[in-house]
Amino acid sequence: MKAGPSLEEIRRHNLGTLLRHVHISGSLSRAVLTDRMGLNRSTILGLVSELASAGLVREELPRDTGRAGRPSLVVRPESDQAYVLAFDVGVDRLIAARIGLGGAFLDRRETPLPPGHRSAAEVTEALAGFARQMVGAAREGSVCVGVGAAVRGTVRRLDGMVRAAPYVDWLDEEFGEDLTRRLGLGVPVTVENEASLGALAEHLRGAGAGCQDLVYLHGDIGIGGGIISGGHLLGGDAGYGGEVGHMVVNPRGGRRCGCGGRGCLEAEAGERALLEAAGLGPSATGREAVRAVVEAADRGDAGARGALHDIGDWLGIGVANLVNLLNPRTVLFGGTLREVFLGSAAQIRSRINTHALTPTREHLRLRVGALGDDAVLIGAAELAFSQLLVGPLEALARHAAVAGP
Amino acid sequence: MTATATPIVQLRGIDKSFGPVQVLHDVSFDIRPGEVTALVGDNGAGKSTLVKCIGGIHPIDGGAYLFEDEQVHVHSPRDAAALGVEIVYQDLALCDNLDIVQNMFLGREKRRGLVLDDATMEEMAAKTLDGLSVRTVTSIRQQVASLSGGQRQTVAIAKAVLWNSKVVILDEPTAALGVAQTAQVLELVRRLADNGIAVVLISHNMNDVFAVSDRIAALYLGRMAAQVKASDVTYSQVVELITSGRSGDLGLATANGVTL
Repeated sequence: MKAGPSLEEIRRHNLGTLLRHVHISGSLSRAVLTDRMGLNRSTILGLVSELASAGLVREELPRDTGRAGRPSLVVRPESDQAYVLAFDVGVDRLIAARIGLGGAFLDRRETPLPPGHRSAAEVTEALAGFARQMVGAAREGSVCVGVGAAVRGTVRRLDGMVRAAPYVDWLDEEFGEDLTRRLGLGVPVTVENEASLGALAEHLRGAGAGCQDLVYLHGDIGIGGGIISGGHLLGGDAGYGGEVGHMVVNPRGGRRCGCGGRGCLEAEAGERALLEAAGLGPSATGREAVRAVVEAADRGDAGARGALHDIGDWLGIGVANLVNLLNPRTVLFGGTLREVFLGSAAQIRSRINTHALTPTREHLRLRVGALGDDAVLIGAAELAFSQLLVGPLEALARHAAVAGP
Repeated sequence: MTATATPIVQLRGIDKSFGPVQVLHDVSFDIRPGEVTALVGDNGAGKSTLVKCIGGIHPIDGGAYLFEDEQVHVHSPRDAAALGVEIVYQDLALCDNLDIVQNMFLGREKRRGLVLDDATMEEMAAKTLDGLSVRTVTSIRQQVASLSGGQRQTVAIAKAVLWNSKVVILDEPTAALGVAQTAQVLELVRRLADNGIAVVLISHNMNDVFAVSDRIAALYLGRMAAQVKASDVTYSQVVELITSGRSGDLGLATANGVTL
């Protein structure tokens, strides 16, 4: 039997917790930290100085005091010392960013992902190129402490193997391991589903901040989902969980889905379904087309209104199921679903109010995402920061040694 | 904010007539902090009259106006403002030839001795816009004439929030706006309530109503047909309440609005 945590473990835990508060909140006075962590002032002082001497935080005078008396110093994250790389393998583009402690975007690069050049090998190569440029541009002595990558597909949590990513036509690609090798930074790449990362980002920094139970629905070419339950990202046994878009809502006579099934939520309420219902041909795709349908409906176009009405119905049925299963406090609509939600909220709400049980829905809040298109990248970065926030000094030392001369 | 917050404004049995025409009959209406209460109804149902009574523009003929559980007498917009009740009207009432800061402080300018305290006003305006996460306005010294419809609405709402208002009433804030600007304004409306303000939203657009509101109050021919939680009703029920004053168990006792 293991005895209680050692002093060393407690200290590491406290350092991590303090750094997490500063990382998420931006800048906090020692007094606030004392309150939030329930530790005494001298312990906080000790923790702050230890993090400060590692270069992870700095203390400075607050910008505006507005009060009499000597202002209390605030602790800020040092965005330049420890950073992560975040990658987003999109439907038609690759995005890479270098993000500093505290969440500041230090560097951001983007390239289109044309059809025919979407193989895992080519994507890995392109991302490694971005990584080289971004790491090269980083300040001398700063340390890369993690790498996170988002893909639109199912990902094995254990090793970052992408089991299936239909929009880039990947099947069982060892993406995580290959990218780790190719980067050669001595930092393992964490790969995760894009909507799960959106959920994580909105939970930590966006419209779901402070909410421990939320469902995030992300629309682009399909419908992705991420579930935060009890403050944790729900992944299931191997990490494949949260495939909200493939919840079956209309199996008999429903629309064909990209997964081979019929009547999945994504098939009934996704972008394709909306655009077809609005009478648009297969050439119309993407966010602009979705926006055009919502705008036409707003101007009174009957076809567009009918389309949004139908899609809202299906979306509401899907959300009602999720509400019954998970009893979330908040359901967030992101990506193109933000527009779809605002254009069909009456249907969505009505379906939820009809199908979800009264206790599961009574405190339910429907909201749109607050982080916009960057949600996925921010989520990837947060995932990449998680090691640092568990044991700041150890993680820093480990990665500095690898990157060192 | 929990769904069971006690109302900050409670109207009980409000009557209001203009000459021989009785516009409001025995209206009860609750406004809760941290919630968006949608006020819906057909044209002429009495929505605007009701909010003008709350805002002190029209004196009420009968009934009780309770603010934070105490009966108050609101005879003018200044009385309402003193309680922390602000109304943003459809026409916004912004001055095109003044900049954002000047508009936000119009008639209530901060002074330092004999001169205007521009620095303080600028700081307060910036802080308010910041607190509402408004990122659509580039400079607070921009003339209002140069702003888009959504930005003007944003400034009008920020003006209402600047005075530590507890209740903000918005009369059709999205009526004249396009889709993208409507989305911004709706997000702002939601943020006000999430910051703890009691918000009343008048709107004809059911998607807007269901997207942001916690409660829906339906007026029918000057009577309050029902005030319900947005998580308990469907779109068609609300439409029925608006058009006939009742829907199933909800609403007025008889279809023509005469209480039995």
